[in-house]
Amino acid sequence: MFPIELSEWAALAPVYILVLSAMVLFVFDSINPRTTNRAFLAGTTTAGSLAALAVAVWFLLAGVGTPQADGGFGAISLFDGQLVVDQLALFFIVVVTVVTSLVSIASYDYMKGHTYQAEYYTLTLLAATGMATMAASNSLVTIFIALELASLPSYALVSILKDNRGSIEGGLKYFLIGALSSAIFVYGISLVYGATGFMQLDAIAENLDADYGPLLGLGILMLIGGFAFKTASVPFHFWAPEAYEGAPAPIAAFLSSASKAAGFVIAFRVFTTAFPLEPTASVIGVDWTVAFIILAIVTMTIGNFAAATQTNVKRMLAYSSVGHAGYALIGLAGLGAGANDVVMGAALMHLFVYGFMNTGAFLFVGLAEHWGVGRTFEDYNGLSAKAPIACVAMTVFMFSLAGIPPFGGFFSKYFLFTASIDAGLLFVAAALVINSALSLYYYSRLVKALWIEEPVLERESLSQPVGLYAAIVFAAVMTVVVLPGFGPVADAAVDAAAAVVA
Amino acid sequence: MIGIEHYIVLSMALFCIGLFGVLTRRNALMFLMSVELMLNAANINLVAFAFYHGNITGQIFALFTIALAAAEVAIGLGIILVLYRNFRDVDVTVPSQMRW
Repeated sequence: MFPIELSEWAALAPVYILVLSAMVLFVFDSINPRTTNRAFLAGTTTAGSLAALAVAVWFLLAGVGTPQADGGFGAISLFDGQLVVDQLALFFIVVVTVVTSLVSIASYDYMKGHTYQAEYYTLTLLAATGMATMAASNSLVTIFIALELASLPSYALVSILKDNRGSIEGGLKYFLIGALSSAIFVYGISLVYGATGFMQLDAIAENLDADYGPLLGLGILMLIGGFAFKTASVPFHFWAPEAYEGAPAPIAAFLSSASKAAGFVIAFRVFTTAFPLEPTASVIGVDWTVAFIILAIVTMTIGNFAAATQTNVKRMLAYSSVGHAGYALIGLAGLGAGANDVVMGAALMHLFVYGFMNTGAFLFVGLAEHWGVGRTFEDYNGLSAKAPIACVAMTVFMFSLAGIPPFGGFFSKYFLFTASIDAGLLFVAAALVINSALSLYYYSRLVKALWIEEPVLERESLSQPVGLYAAIVFAAVMTVVVLPGFGPVADAAVDAAAAVVA
Repeated sequence: MIGIEHYIVLSMALFCIGLFGVLTRRNALMFLMSVELMLNAANINLVAFAFYHGNITGQIFALFTIALAAAEVAIGLGIILVLYRNFRDVDVTVPSQMRW
């Protein structure tokens, strides 16, 4: 397609659509307080996020923000460079809006009978707005504000089941660790500002000064803390199992897919734009990729080993999502060895595929909660006899998460593997393979429970809620369709990565 | 003469006091106050560095931080309120149905 030229304000259209849908829900709720018109609320949320998705996909295909060297019109910067719309931003807006629409469709059934319907959907849209803005942020100021806009509604969403002790406990722990990590993050920002005198990412890169090396090094370390919280990586990962287990299942899906992707995009942008590898290494004395190599290995190992010991399905998925954060961290760990765009592109692909397969898996848990079958592996025994379609979809998600060849998860892991070998990170590549093999054990345990084990109790026939089924089946279809369609996804991911690491 | 390093020492001390409170206090409200200390340590840094570098970005950002901290406290108090309703306590170690 020919690149299209957009005026500045039009480039942020996906974000505006999300905000406007949230405002529509606000107005509707203030006219009809305590409304339980689920069709309108879920419909508006879904329509808004699908519209934002459509616009973002269109912009992505039309080459908005492509560098001039590749025949585009260059990244569009708004508000004096505080926000920037390039291929990387659009790629992540696509991931976030995909997850938001799946979650809102599934919530139609899951949140049936809940008192605070309008609040639920409004908060979801506002959090999605924050995540989309994170994708486009180009200054530490906008990054922090967008991060808080994504986090604050998430705290409330996790604890929205006000009479459920698990939900409150999950929300409390998420909030406490979130507040602590955002305090550390702001302190990191203040130190980076002190060392360079600027907040804007490209201005920081131009003003790295050897006189303030220790200050800058400490600041960068604290920024990594903030990213680790948002992406659920070590050392700020321990909120994840509690928050995902206590939260309503669609919200767990939302946080573990969209929120994690948004955390990665700011990490990618800050470290590639503001702290270019060699100049930063000469100022602070160490290569920051070392920190990410360690974090990637530790995160994937802790996540997968903890997941293997769980008896609760949702908790297993939560730890597996910590493990997947470790895989995506390879995108930063492998920089600086030549093939930068391929390494980061592989991480983007993994986050994209993960958006479908992990959201789908959590929504299946939501479906099981909707049926009231219980939470442990044993409770899932023999579900395939009553709900074969959903179980086929869940099997697809599990094998794709494990990285079995015919599914999308295999390709993104394969790219991560080859990219980390190209970057010379043999240890990381080995850890990736060992952890994937281990993860096959606990994912196939669930598949075995669904298809082979006999149910502990006889079940009545199970209901088939339309919204949840539609979201799960769509996510499963996309996980498989990514197979023939992987070429364009891979190209888009590598192009998007090339925009920042070139 | 008070130089920039005095401000950094002050803010780091404040940050460490806040961190100490976060790690040792079990009362959720005390936890919130400790986090506020850490945020204000960052604000001192921002304002001092803004003066030092002679640009106003840091001061403006400090205003944003204050506003966001207020929003965060509002959400936090809401969660602590439902915590109290469900558990009859604001001790952060009481809710432990799930393992850490």
